[in-house]
Amino acid sequence: MNIFWREMRANRKSLLFWSIGVFLMVVSGMSKYAGLSSSGQSMSGMMSEMPKSLQAILGIGNLDLDKASGYYGILYLYLLLMATIHAAMLGANIISKEERDKTSEFLFVKPVSRNNIITAKLLAAFVNIVIFNVVTLVSSIIIVGQYSKGEAVVRDIAMTMLGMFIVQILFMGIGTALAAVKKKPNSAASLATGILLLTFVLSMAIDLNDKLANLKYITPFKYFEAKNVMYGGGLDVGFVLLSAAMIVVLFWVTYTFFRKRDLNV
Amino acid sequence: MNVIEINNLTKTYGKSRGITDISFNVEEGEIFGFIGPNGAGKSTTIRTLLSLIYPTSGSAKIFGKDCIAFAPEIKKQIGYLPSEVFYYDNMKVIDLLKYSASFYKKDCTKRIKELAEIMDLDLTKKIDDLSLGNKKKVGIVQGLLHEPKLIILDEPTSGLDPLMQQKFFELLEIEHQKGVTVLFSSHILSEVQRLCSRVAIIKEGKIVTVEKISTLQENNYKKFKIHTKANLDKSYFDVAGVSKLEVEGNNVSFLFKGNLNIVLKKIAETEIANVWIEEPDLEEIFMHYYVKEA
Repeated sequence: MNIFWREMRANRKSLLFWSIGVFLMVVSGMSKYAGLSSSGQSMSGMMSEMPKSLQAILGIGNLDLDKASGYYGILYLYLLLMATIHAAMLGANIISKEERDKTSEFLFVKPVSRNNIITAKLLAAFVNIVIFNVVTLVSSIIIVGQYSKGEAVVRDIAMTMLGMFIVQILFMGIGTALAAVKKKPNSAASLATGILLLTFVLSMAIDLNDKLANLKYITPFKYFEAKNVMYGGGLDVGFVLLSAAMIVVLFWVTYTFFRKRDLNV
Repeated sequence: MNVIEINNLTKTYGKSRGITDISFNVEEGEIFGFIGPNGAGKSTTIRTLLSLIYPTSGSAKIFGKDCIAFAPEIKKQIGYLPSEVFYYDNMKVIDLLKYSASFYKKDCTKRIKELAEIMDLDLTKKIDDLSLGNKKKVGIVQGLLHEPKLIILDEPTSGLDPLMQQKFFELLEIEHQKGVTVLFSSHILSEVQRLCSRVAIIKEGKIVTVEKISTLQENNYKKFKIHTKANLDKSYFDVAGVSKLEVEGNNVSFLFKGNLNIVLKKIAETEIANVWIEEPDLEEIFMHYYVKEA
């Protein structure tokens, strides 16, 4: 447990800044809705006149932009992007930081197995991610609630956050697995964010080109999209299972490779 | 009983660095020197013992148990001081020491205070603000606070001023008297000679010899340099045990191995202006062993 608390302390400041960041993201995003909705024009009407590709990139789909919840659905994509960047970097760094800061000759000569060290670190990363998710959830419910004019938003927001949570854990796993496999301590975080941006761009490409639809399985950004999850859509069981399987594999890779490899000392 | 048993340990990296077929034992209660130039494989051997890295082949036992399979258990009784000390920068010294102590299921508060006092270490400072020498002190306290039965030191004196080195050696003597085993890695012969009873010499990843310090010294060359008042006959110092004799006017220099009294008598019988008798440096000892092998 001492390693867990050490990690919680070490990540405290970063988590605070990320939380402030995501809160401001919700505030500034929704304040744009306030500006647009008060102009009196129908936003969905405006949007439907825009090119299909732009609509796709904004992730509009069947979202009703005249409603606060619909607007939130677009914002969600960017919240998801933030949350996953946080998760991927956190996962990669929490494993590789001992090697990066050359503290491995301290920690790994203590009477603890590498497995236990990994468990403590994964647990700390997990709690950080839960906190990030809850902060986003609460901020969203409060801020969107300000603009919802009585529309029930809590259920839809909670559903998107549940989806976001699964994708967060997935990217955290990508981070930890890369850090466990890669010996160069700095390469894991950059590679993890690289993969993240690549899959993000791919999810956009899929929106633009129907022929790529089958690629949706390899980009987690397509798993739980706001337009599918909200308004009673819920989480797609297939994608939940796929995510779960990937998470299990990623954690297995994290443990196995980290246990067996030479530390970079 | 052997506290450390190393059997044919080999570690090859992608490139050239590594160790080849290393075997030696460290007995309980001894201070064992591990000496060799930088890059010879001292740290690689130690890091393999601590299962920070894994051997390519061969094995090692500590306290009679395999150093990989039983690593967490063995490490309860090991104190380790790495050659370069790095800690979590934003922590205070006392917080780091408490964190370190939290891994050993015993109360180390008293011992931390005791050690900090001996090593003259300010516990309230941030590790970030410490000088290299003071970080090393943190390392020493950190390595000893749980009263380990085996202390592994990798170049422990680098960065310590002579006064602190002295205190640190005294500390090790006390631990030694308690029956603690010490593996002392260094590239400085004099400090190993001072503390250790036996020594393993490593060069380019291979053990050159494992000897008692006393034997090593007997076999050792001494460097003589004599400034005489009068010109000497060239063959005056050409006695058994003398090699590389060079006479240039009033300056005589040679290496000597054997009974020192013989050569000192010779010196006493001449009018000299000055004399230097030096320990050979490590490189010269290696030369000696290479000559012997050839």
